[in-house]
Order: sequence, then C-alpha cells, then structure tokens
Amino acid sequence: MMDTLLAAIDQLFTLSTMATMLLGVVAGVIASAIPGFTITMAIVLTLPLTFTMDPLQGVATMLAVYVGGYTGGLISAALLGIPGTPSSVATTFDAFPMARNGQPGRALALGIWASFFGSLISAIILIIAAPPLAMIAVKLGAWEYFSLIIFAMTVVASLVGKSMLKGLMTGFLGLFIATVGADPMMGVPRFTFDADLLANGFPFLVVLIGIFAVSQLLSEVEDAEAIQHGKALIPDNISFRPMDALRETLSYPVNLIRSSLVGVFIGAVPGAGGSIANLLAYDQAKRASKHPETFGTGNPEGVIASESGNSATSGGGLIPMIALGIPGSAVDAVLMASLMVHGIGVGPRLILDHGDLVYGMFIAMFLAAFMVLVVCLFSMKLFLRVTEVPRSVIVPVVLTCCVVGAFALNNRVTDIYLLLGIGVFGYVLSKLDYPLAPLVLGVILGPIAETNLRRALMTDENWTLFFTRPISLALLALAVVSVVFAIRHHRRQKRAALV
Amino acid sequence: MSSMSSNRPPKGGRSSENSGRSGPLAHLVFNGMLAAIFTVLFLQAGDLPSSMWEPLGSGSFPRLVLAALVLINLAIILKEARAFASLTPAEKGLVGRWIWRHRLAFGVLALFATYIFAVPLLGFALASLVFLLASQWLLGARSIKAIGIGVVVALVFSFGVDTLFRDVFVISLPRGLLG
Repeated sequence: MMDTLLAAIDQLFTLSTMATMLLGVVAGVIASAIPGFTITMAIVLTLPLTFTMDPLQGVATMLAVYVGGYTGGLISAALLGIPGTPSSVATTFDAFPMARNGQPGRALALGIWASFFGSLISAIILIIAAPPLAMIAVKLGAWEYFSLIIFAMTVVASLVGKSMLKGLMTGFLGLFIATVGADPMMGVPRFTFDADLLANGFPFLVVLIGIFAVSQLLSEVEDAEAIQHGKALIPDNISFRPMDALRETLSYPVNLIRSSLVGVFIGAVPGAGGSIANLLAYDQAKRASKHPETFGTGNPEGVIASESGNSATSGGGLIPMIALGIPGSAVDAVLMASLMVHGIGVGPRLILDHGDLVYGMFIAMFLAAFMVLVVCLFSMKLFLRVTEVPRSVIVPVVLTCCVVGAFALNNRVTDIYLLLGIGVFGYVLSKLDYPLAPLVLGVILGPIAETNLRRALMTDENWTLFFTRPISLALLALAVVSVVFAIRHHRRQKRAALV
Repeated sequence: MSSMSSNRPPKGGRSSENSGRSGPLAHLVFNGMLAAIFTVLFLQAGDLPSSMWEPLGSGSFPRLVLAALVLINLAIILKEARAFASLTPAEKGLVGRWIWRHRLAFGVLALFATYIFAVPLLGFALASLVFLLASQWLLGARSIKAIGIGVVVALVFSFGVDTLFRDVFVISLPRGLLG
C-alpha cells in the first residue's frame, strides 16, 4: 500500500499536474460563480482538454474543477442572492442576508472555510470508508429510494416560512412542474399540449435560474430611488478577515461535522447529490439550533451547514464510483468517462488493478481542497469588488448571463422562452409571499420519487413493502419525526409571534 | 412584500400604507385561477395511458400531485376569503402608486422580454448589446462616465461572451442576423 501511495504522490506532484489542477480550481470557482453554469457543465467542458494528459493528471484536473465548483457557487449565492449552482440554494438563505447586512466578507469567508472542511472531511471518509459505505448505498432498492425522497421532502416543512399552506403549495407545484414532458418510465408526453416549448419538459436548471435569478433581480430594481442614485446591491464593505471566520467556523464543530456527514451520505447515494445535500444539511442545522428563528436572517450556522454539506458531496460521490463503478451524480459519470477514455475500466476491481490511480485521486481530493482554499482566500477581495458595482450594471449583466446559461444547457432557444415565463411566474409568487425554495426542492425530487415509486410497485405490487423493509421503514419513521418536529416548531413560533 | 423565500427578511416595504383587502383579493384571484387550472389538468391526466407492466401508469403520480394542489389552493382561498371579509377596502389610488413604485422592475421586465424574443432574430451578440445598453440607461446610467462604462460592459458581455463561447467552448450562441 505504501509503495502505491508513494507512486501516486510521485505522479501527482509534478509541475504540469499541479499547474493544470490550479487552472482547474480557478475555472471551477469562476464557472460556478456564474448563475446558470453548473459544475457538470464546467467538468464536461474540461473533459476534452484532458484527453492528451495521462490518466491521473486528467482525472486530478477534473477533480480540481469539481471541488472548486462546489465553493464557487457560494460567491453569487452570497453576493447576489442567486445560487451559482443548484448545490448552493441553501447558501442564499443566510449568506445573502449577512452580505446585505454589511458583512459580505464574513459571509464569503465562512463559506470558504466551511467548504474547505466539508471537502476535507469527505476526503477522509472517502479513504477510510469507501467500500463499506458504497455497499450500504448500493443495497438501497426502489422502496428505500422512495422513502429517502419522502424523508428529503420533509425538508419542505422547515422551508415554508410564515405559512405552511403556501410552502406546501410551492413544494407540490415543484413536483408537478417535474412531471411536464416525457414520462420517466414509458416516455409518454404529459401536459405538453403538442407544443415544442414543453416537449422536453422544464429543464431543472432553467427553473432554478428563472425562479431565483430573474425574480430576485426584478425585486432588486423595485426601489427606484436607490437605483437612480447608483446604489450598489449590497453595502460597499470589502473587509475580509479569514482568520476570524476560521475561528467562527470552528466554533460550530457539531454543525460542521453533521453537515459534512449529511453531504458524504447524500453524495454516496446514486442520483442524489449536492443539490439535495445543502438543503438537508441546512434543515438539520436549523432544527438542531438553539435559535432556529434567526435562520434566514444571516445566521453563520446556516452558511456553514449549507457550504460544508454541498462540498462534502464531492468525496461522497466518489465512493460508489471508486468502489463499485456506479456514478453518484452526472459529474461522477463524466469523471468515469474520463477514465474510460484512457482505457481504464471502472468497477470493483479499480482499486486492485489501478491502485496508484485511486490513491492519486484520494490525494488529489486533498490537494484540490487546499488549492481551492488558497485561491479563494487570495481572490476573495477581488470578488468582493462586486459590492461596489452599481445595480444599474449588475442587474442587466446577470440577466444576460442567465440567458447564456439557460441556452447553453441544451442549445435550445425554447429554453430561454421558458426562462422568461418561469421568471415572471417566480416574481408573481415572490410578490404574493410564497417561499420559492420548496418549489426547487420539488422539481429536484419529483422525478426521483415518481420513478422509484413506480419501479417499486412494478417489481412487487405489495405496497406494504415500504413499511416492512427495515431501511425503508427507518427512513419513513425519520420523515414522520421530521414533520412532527417541524409542525411543533412552527406552532411554537406562531405562538411566540402572537405574544 | 417580496422575499426570495420566507427565510428572507422582508425588504424595502412601505408598511405604513393601508393595503386593506388588496392582499387577500390578489390571493383569491391567483389561487382561484390555479385551482381551476389544476382541476382541468387533473381531469386530463386521467386520459394518460396506463401500462400492463406496471400498476401505476403515466397519469397516477401527476394526478396525486394535482389533487393535492387543488386541495391546497382551495384551503388558501378559504383562508384568504375570511381575511378579505374581515378587512376594509384599500386606500384609493393604491394600485396606481404600487405600479409607479415598481416602474423600474416593470421596465426591466419589458426590456428583458423584448430581448428574449429578439435573440433568435438579431442573434445573441446584437440583442444583448441593445438590451445591456437600454437597461443600464433605464436603471440610471445617464452621466458621460456611466454611459462610457455601460458601453464597455455591453460590448464585453455581448460580443465578448459570444466570441468566448464560439471560439473557446465551441458552443454557438444564436447568430440571427450575423449568421
């Protein structure tokens, strides 16, 4: 093992590999900071560039983009209130209010450290527990998947805000939006009305950009007086104290570790990923907090939970890929493809046949986490300059980036029409005080829930299996507990508000 | 007032204004429309084909979701109807003032909608250039310096982005007139 490890280190610590990894980190951070550019897109664009590299250099460069991407989403989430990637939706809840309260540097620094520790913890777990954890994740059948999604859906209960009914409405609306287009099992078109516009359904990314970015940007230009006096989006304050943020991040060790573990586990479950992990980690942190009422107003715990949770999925996603050859997400599938391009078969024998490569990937994860930290700490002052840009510039520019992001996803003009429609609808919802986060969660989880429910009943029509299979039962019990706690908390908050 | 999610603090509101029944009325109209649409879609989902291979078929899951949506919207309508009955009518001229206060948001939205429909016709670069210049001007870039910055920003994010995507990422954004 020691020889393999040394061989991996020898291959990894070369000038060319380190240079391409550094470029990968910068590219990942920048790409994810632009609303509409997912980590998947960044990594897909990197893939052709790695064909000429040796396998470890290629996969290490892509891992650098991957890890950098999870941190990059933080920048637009904190400074613009727009999640750069689906995995930073929950980051907007507290990082953006914190930035608006005049502490953009603190929001970014907390997010950077939380991301760093999340990546680090996930890399450690990846090395120690890859095979056993992957075995658990792979044992999940359609029943357990469906129950897992039901559990994840209970997160809606803590995202509903003032009105439970409105939260449920947008959550179910998200589930419905996900059913438009081809049926996931039979391919039958549903609710498309023979229109080209709806033929492919609502791409998740277009919904995300439309709902968050367009409606948020329109809300930003409502105050005519502030705009016409050239006011910036958030108070101009580029104070950035990374060491204070490090101390603050470490003062919430339980939150940091719990959120990272949530991220690793969700990352290891094929089909889940950062987009679910950040919301689940945020939800758990809010429930465990002594002051849950301060979540959503700039609470550091919220920033730490979301960022450590989403970054930890990077290591988690590699667990089933390395141990069993099953990609945990689209990004892992592209990573797998990059190995296959080099003639490396990914599967249970990967560790045995290409030990140096696998250990190289483990070390590359650590290295990428450190590189992201250094790059972000040194470049954050530059990013904080965004706070000085007046709204009259930033709003049109970000709207243009949204159009590019929506179009580039599938090269379809119809997607930008959908972007406009969803943006206007999202703006109406936000004006009527509907929470938007449950809608996004519904769109993410809807197809997974439907596919697994139908698959489970197709395998065996006996629906009691959802309650008799131990893991499924445990997940459903957790879902019930989660809802009961959320309702109790909601009622207590309402009572407190009345007093 | 608007908030991105209810986890956000409200911002920029003029809470002293007596909005009276306007809030509940807006909900009654909006949720009434949604309830009607979801009812029609629920009925339509019943016509989706089933399969001999699986007990649920294409329509079952959407019907389940749509039924829940109809019920939730009816519950919201009931709640808002009660609020409507207990409140006094809104101050006169409230709607006009609300629209005036949101004039910039509506202006940007109108420009954005025009931009979206212009992209396939004019091409991404040209449509973006016009949109960026017009919206920056609308949002207050009126001085010589601000206009100068606006022109540079517009060129970078229209022709610059178009070139970057075409030559570096090999993704061709709509070309329109330039194609």
